[in-house]
Amino acid sequence: MFLLAMRSIRQRPGRFLATLLAAFLGAAIIMTFNSLYDTAGQSGVDSVSAETLTTSASVVGGYGTLLVFFAVASTLTVNVRQRAAELELLRCSGATPAQIKRMVVGEAVAVALVGAVLAIGPAMLGGHALLGMFQDSGQVARSVDHSFGTVALMSGIDITLLAAAGAAFLAVRRVTRGQRRRGRARTVLAYAALLVGALGVLSTFAFSATDEALMAPPAEGAILLSVGLALLAPRMLTGVLDRLPLTGASGWLAVRNLRRRADHLAGILMSLILFTAVATATLYMQAVESDAVEASGLTKSVDAKNLETLNLTVVGIIVVFVCVMLVNSLYAATSYRSREFGQQRLAGATPGQVLGTVGAEGLILTAIGLFFGTVAALAGIIPFTVVRTDSVLPDQGLGIWLAVVSVAAAATLGTGLVTARRVLRTPAVEAVEVAA
Amino acid sequence: MFRTGSRSRHDTGPAPEALRLVKVSKTYGADDSAVTALDGVTLALGRGTFTAVMGPSGSGKSTLLQCAAGLDLPDSGIVRVDGTELTGGSEAELTRFRRGRIGFVFQQYNLLDTLTVAQNTVLPLRLAGRRVDRRRTREVLTAVGLGDRLGHRPDQLSGGQRQRVAIARALVAEPRVIFADEPTGALDTRSARDVLRLLQDAVRVHGRTVVMVTHDPVAASYADSVLFLADGRLAGRMDGPTPDAVAERLAHLGDDMTAGV
Repeated sequence: MFLLAMRSIRQRPGRFLATLLAAFLGAAIIMTFNSLYDTAGQSGVDSVSAETLTTSASVVGGYGTLLVFFAVASTLTVNVRQRAAELELLRCSGATPAQIKRMVVGEAVAVALVGAVLAIGPAMLGGHALLGMFQDSGQVARSVDHSFGTVALMSGIDITLLAAAGAAFLAVRRVTRGQRRRGRARTVLAYAALLVGALGVLSTFAFSATDEALMAPPAEGAILLSVGLALLAPRMLTGVLDRLPLTGASGWLAVRNLRRRADHLAGILMSLILFTAVATATLYMQAVESDAVEASGLTKSVDAKNLETLNLTVVGIIVVFVCVMLVNSLYAATSYRSREFGQQRLAGATPGQVLGTVGAEGLILTAIGLFFGTVAALAGIIPFTVVRTDSVLPDQGLGIWLAVVSVAAAATLGTGLVTARRVLRTPAVEAVEVAA
Repeated sequence: MFRTGSRSRHDTGPAPEALRLVKVSKTYGADDSAVTALDGVTLALGRGTFTAVMGPSGSGKSTLLQCAAGLDLPDSGIVRVDGTELTGGSEAELTRFRRGRIGFVFQQYNLLDTLTVAQNTVLPLRLAGRRVDRRRTREVLTAVGLGDRLGHRPDQLSGGQRQRVAIARALVAEPRVIFADEPTGALDTRSARDVLRLLQDAVRVHGRTVVMVTHDPVAASYADSVLFLADGRLAGRMDGPTPDAVAERLAHLGDDMTAGV
């Protein structure tokens, strides 16, 4: 089975590109931040520098690990689902479920390993740049040299491989079992995330305005709320669709497609909601915090500076990473619809109508994702602003939110439409022929 | 706007000739590797006829169907469907040409999994911006034996049932010509017989014109006449076909081919 796995990768490298990209980016992020542990662990590094480095590594490293798990899992799930027919064929040819599992997991691990190894070079450069950033802001002594050692290397490769193997195992199990269940575990997880998130957000009020940890409960609360909302998103999507008064053939088709594929779109909605919530919440809270510090006339402490750099770095990474994942999974999901588009065209849809359908679907998805992401972000921003300042809403205006929204909308609609346009180049008759 | 346009075109009444091809040629590839799929094919099919197109693999059957149905443009020659010449290059223009004129039934059904039986049936009407008549849809689906399956999805149906949905879809839009590409290729004999009878009814009861590409002599025997194709050229015609006569003729076509090479 392992040989078959290797052969299937060699024959169709394109199919594994999405997984490779997720593994590569994920490993690069983990290694970049974990190389800060290696740097801090060198002899002759002063304690302030070491603390800055390890704090950053632990905070962002934790985020990064979660993100990598999520990203690799969602691309692998899409990948395995698209190969359901091929796996079914293998099962009919006498492969046992265990053999199929071994093949899919083997492929995933091999691709993840390639991604992680490719990530070593960029991660070294990234770690170097990150250290330079801390040195420029005076948080780390100039004398500290960057080091890329065993912690970075081992954690990067281990986490990526583990994420790939685990995600592939779960995805293939779902496919080979063959039934569609609305997981109860998912619902329980969603409500648990919502509950803990709400508690986190509310606990903000227990802090005083000048507490250093004030930002943590609302920020983490908002992220948990967004995770909870993201898990419930497919169900809410169906609820919203029933109330959409869309006319025209494209809108009609879009609503029906989305309703049928609600479960498949969970990954894309999750990326959108997380992206909006994390970016909006963190950026607004940081802006409120900076203004409050400035207003009080105090100079920033090293800790405050650390926090700002960290916050902005985290947002930067999440923005780039989630955006790439969004583009990645949307691309994979859209290019997979070649046959469906062909069938629409043969039923009398012009290419413009197909693009109109894809556009309408993208708009509905974006609106829902942005709405729930914004709700989660507000749930964190409002308590923070109330405690930190005297107003309820930040006085930064809508600028940041609009920027976040336009990036999300551009990524979702742009990817969907550009991919669909490319897919439409295949003549309809060829597109509907079953892939051999 | 569009609806009235297409209506008024219909009101001029169908042309006596449903389909006419004049010296239609199509070549795939370039230079050394060029393959001539159609070599100057000329034919005319009257309104309300059921014609089967047969020939060995690579004889140009599929290309003929695609060129005649406005799915592909020939390199040279004229294609007329219902008296209107097929012109224009872009896919959108070809799509608009096909609407209201041409319906399809494919071997792989090509129903959309996200839509129910009833929704699949009216999809061509919706895409063309035409009015959807629920009662008529139900009537047509009942006529193909699926009156109690309106809300089912294609994946809840058998192959034969799916193909009957495809036929209902082709009938509801009231096209001048229905092109069927191996419509029974994936079906068991009983389902195949049902599907072929429905195609016959489309011609005899509803006055449609059906062109069916097939390699199965039994399927071809349901047609009024059979056109044989070899090496991209017409190689004969048989009226009132029987399975045995068609099989016999087809076998000799094969002989001629290998002898010719």
